[in-house]
Amino acid sequence: MNLTIQLFATLKDRAGERHIDVTVAEPATVADVLNTISAEYPALAPALPSSLVAVNRQFAEPTTRVDVGDEVALFPPVSGG
Amino acid sequence: MSHPTYFAVTTDTPDLNAVTALLKQPDVGAIITFTGSVRGATRRDGLPAQTLHLEYEAYARMAEEKMAQIAEEIWERWPLVKGIAIVQRVGTLQVGEMTTLVACAAGHRDQGAFEAARYGIDRLKQIVPVWKKEVGADHSVWIEGDYRPTSADNN
Repeated sequence: MNLTIQLFATLKDRAGERHIDVTVAEPATVADVLNTISAEYPALAPALPSSLVAVNRQFAEPTTRVDVGDEVALFPPVSGG
Repeated sequence: MSHPTYFAVTTDTPDLNAVTALLKQPDVGAIITFTGSVRGATRRDGLPAQTLHLEYEAYARMAEEKMAQIAEEIWERWPLVKGIAIVQRVGTLQVGEMTTLVACAAGHRDQGAFEAARYGIDRLKQIVPVWKKEVGADHSVWIEGDYRPTSADNN
C-alpha cells in the first residue's frame, strides 16, 4: 500500500519536504514503515531513532498497525508552549 | 461535560478578554490564566544567547485534539474545574509576544484551578505536537522536548 507520511520540524528540514510517500507491504506496522523510510530516505535515517510517530493523530508504538488510508506523521519530541 | 472550552492553534494573538468572557459563566468565581511569552535571553548550551525571534510550527489538527484530551485529563483530576481554554500560537513570534495560554475556571480559587492550569501547560509541553525554532543572529536551532509520549499518552 502507498502511504503519505507528514513531516514536521527537524524531519521536514532534513527531507526538504512537508511529506514523503512510501510503499509498504500489507499488513504493516509502524516499525515496517520506519524501516522503509530509513532505506529510501537516507537524510531522514539518522533522526528516526529519536522521532515519534503518530497514526491517525494518536501516538504510536513500533507494533502499531498501519492500514490503507491511515494518517501517518513523523516528528521530533514536542517543544511547544 | 457541558463546560465552555476553547482549544486553538492560531497565528493570532490570544484575546485574554475574550477567553475570560467565554469561561466566566454564572457559577464561576475564579479563573486562573497562564500565559507564556518569548524570552529574549537564554542560557543553554548550543542555543543562541540572544533570541531574535521564535518560529513555531504545529501539527494543528492533532494539536487541537490533544488539547481537548488535556482538558479531559484535568476534569478527571480536578472534577470541580469548569471551563478550560488552551491556545498555542504558531508562526514567527517576537521577543515579548504571547506564545501560549492556558486558562481554567472554577467556582472558587481552592477548587483546583491553579493546579489544573499548571498541569495544562506542563502537559501541553509533553503531548501537543508543536515545535519551536530559536532564531539568533548567527544560527537557529530547533528545540526538542525531553518527554517521549507513548500510546499510554493517548486518550
